[in-house]
Amino acid sequence: MADKNEQTMNLTLKVWRQKGPQEPGRLVEYKVTGVSPDMSFLEMLDVLNEQLVSRGEDAVAFDHDCREGICGMCSLMIDGRAHGPDSAATTCQLHMRRYKDGDTVVIEPFRAKGFPVVKDLVVDRSAFDRIMMAGGFVSVGTGAACDANSILVPKEKADKAMDAAACIGCGACVAACPNAAAMLFVAAKVSQYALLPQGQAERDRRALAMRKAMDAEGFGHCTNEYECEAACPKEIKVSNIARLNREFLRAAVSAD
Amino acid sequence: MQATETEEKACCRPADCRLVMLLESSIGKKIMVALAGLFLSFFLLVHLAGNLFMFSGAGAFNHYASALAHNELLPVAEIGLVVLFLVHIALATRAWFINRAARPVGYQVYAGKGGRTAGSRSMAVTGALVLVFLLVHLKTFRFAPAAVREADLFALVVRRFRSPWYSAFYVLALGGLGLHLSHGVQSAFQTLGLNHPRYTPLIKKLGLAFAVLIALGFMSMPIYFGFLGGAK
Ligand code: HEM
Ligand code: FES
Repeated sequence: MADKNEQTMNLTLKVWRQKGPQEPGRLVEYKVTGVSPDMSFLEMLDVLNEQLVSRGEDAVAFDHDCREGICGMCSLMIDGRAHGPDSAATTCQLHMRRYKDGDTVVIEPFRAKGFPVVKDLVVDRSAFDRIMMAGGFVSVGTGAACDANSILVPKEKADKAMDAAACIGCGACVAACPNAAAMLFVAAKVSQYALLPQGQAERDRRALAMRKAMDAEGFGHCTNEYECEAACPKEIKVSNIARLNREFLRAAVSAD
Repeated sequence: MQATETEEKACCRPADCRLVMLLESSIGKKIMVALAGLFLSFFLLVHLAGNLFMFSGAGAFNHYASALAHNELLPVAEIGLVVLFLVHIALATRAWFINRAARPVGYQVYAGKGGRTAGSRSMAVTGALVLVFLLVHLKTFRFAPAAVREADLFALVVRRFRSPWYSAFYVLALGGLGLHLSHGVQSAFQTLGLNHPRYTPLIKKLGLAFAVLIALGFMSMPIYFGFLGGAK
């Protein structure tokens, strides 16, 4: 084991470089040396940036924050897959032991009209914030902490709501979708409230408003390709999309 | 509270009219495409059942065809079909263009993680193929000269299928239709919000079986009467 870990790799990276939102971009080839299999993918990019900076070149801009799979900041299309080849993992959880010496890796930003490129691999995902502002909340005053059993929530519903609430809003669903649709994200957010008693008061208005905000950001239409579910680092299920469709239809035909 | 007030006046603005919303919104459009698609699928089943009279010979088939042609409700059904096709094609095509615009700069490398199927990838291509087929099909049979149709429709069908090019095109287009349905039928259930851990796997299997049944069922006629020289 120890021997294997001491062995470092040299990789060829093809990285999307773009100076600014309006500048043209292109894939630029770099050699990165001395990559340990114990590094995360982001740490490998840190190594690349150190090597670039030491040569006096501009570092590659990429998003990251927690680096432990909980914040939703990291992104990247790695060899054409959102968050890389692993399932149920973010880019920061991808390890370089997945690769071997001499590999070539293509790294591109998440692409969608709703996710414009800011610089290099950084995209602006504030469209998701605006969709949340349209209805992804419960606006009842909750007062002081009340007794845990005063509102009964069936176990199955609580489980489903928790599963939906696991969404970290990274946007991999949009990036992976052939239609750049944001349905899995919106479905998760609508579901986590629709399943709980606290979400009922604004249920119809939420479904209509979040759908409207989603369309206004220029995301595509769902054609049930299910690439979103396959790419989701939190394994959000497409059954949530069916629920979103039900919530929308219900609200469209019955809301005041 | 500003938001609530505008919301209350919303129905006066066309964009928030519920009917417009069902045709214009992303989800509404897909629900209409799915509904129309399922009705069209049902039509295909009925159409296939009727056409299989071809295998009972000229007498049975011509009798069925003339009974159908003289049914007073036929024009109603035909108008219904035209509407279903128009809704399905118009909204699906519009959605397709919006989806292309939703990713103005594409990926240099796009691999996916195994969500897509051959059917789901090719919906636009198979849809277009079915449309071309539909136009050719209507021209040859529905809009053939009335005298020819009424004299002996069975003979007309056999005569057309004797052309290998015509039959080959039929088989190809029906393969496309099968592919369209292999994704479309189960997809429509999901679009309509019908997804359940116990029933969805069954719906997927039945959707696929339906697609195979429809494709092979219709293909059997150009193959038997065309390539195998049936009804000599
Ligand atoms: C008998 C004829 C047809 C039947 C039974 C049929 C059926 C269906 C069904 C069930 C769906 C799935 C809806 C959903 O995903 O929710 C669908 C989708 C679609 N159809 Fe058709 N269709 C037919 C003809 C056509 C034609 C003529 C066109 C185009 C010219 C077309 C284009 C499409 C497109 C673009 C989609 C959406 C793709 C997607 O959702 O993945 N279809 N069709
Ligand atoms: S950096 Fe926080 S999820 Fe990857």
